[in-house]
Amino acid sequence: MVDDLRKYLNHLLEKVNGLHCILITDRDGVPLVRAATDKAPQAALTPNFISTFGMATDQASKLGLGRNKTIISMYSSYQVIQMNKLPLVITFIGSDNCNTGHILSLENQIEPFLKDLATVVAEAP
Amino acid sequence: MEKELDRVTDEIMLTPNVTGCIFADHQGLCLAAKGNAHVDSAGLIVAISEQACKIQPNLKPPTINLEADKKQCLIQRHGTITGMEAAIFVNND
Repeated sequence: MVDDLRKYLNHLLEKVNGLHCILITDRDGVPLVRAATDKAPQAALTPNFISTFGMATDQASKLGLGRNKTIISMYSSYQVIQMNKLPLVITFIGSDNCNTGHILSLENQIEPFLKDLATVVAEAP
Repeated sequence: MEKELDRVTDEIMLTPNVTGCIFADHQGLCLAAKGNAHVDSAGLIVAISEQACKIQPNLKPPTINLEADKKQCLIQRHGTITGMEAAIFVNND
């Protein structure tokens, strides 16, 4: 299952220009599936970077606008798009000029694969 | 701020056979959408336009016509760096 998903993520990486990495983790930042090119920044792949999203999305959900779904962080040379699919977190890392809208539209395509993975993570002790 | 864009969108929607209209910025983020144009398609429209521009990079961006049995989708880019993408969905009848 995970191999198929990894292959699919690699296929998506090729489809979007400037997308360096797709990462599916649990909310603590533990990687479950990873597809990355060699351009992906190592600092952004560490659990402490990814787990920060867990806190940020919790805080953003308290702003009175409903549950936070996505956080887009633009840096000088990268953009990081993180999606709240609790208990899973999807992280996309791309170049600063990468097509943000195209990455956001990948959500619908990845979603069907997440159901089984989310069940496994939710049942883990 | 977006009043002018809304006005243009409404104007386009009044054209006969037009069923939808969407505007996106160069990052693929939707600026305005009306009719049967889906907000999520903004990114894909910009991606299609980017690929088409690579065919002849020295010329100005082409207008793309995606033609199906019953519908057409016309995509046009305005400006190069901070450009805007417009897509119009038209019925063939």
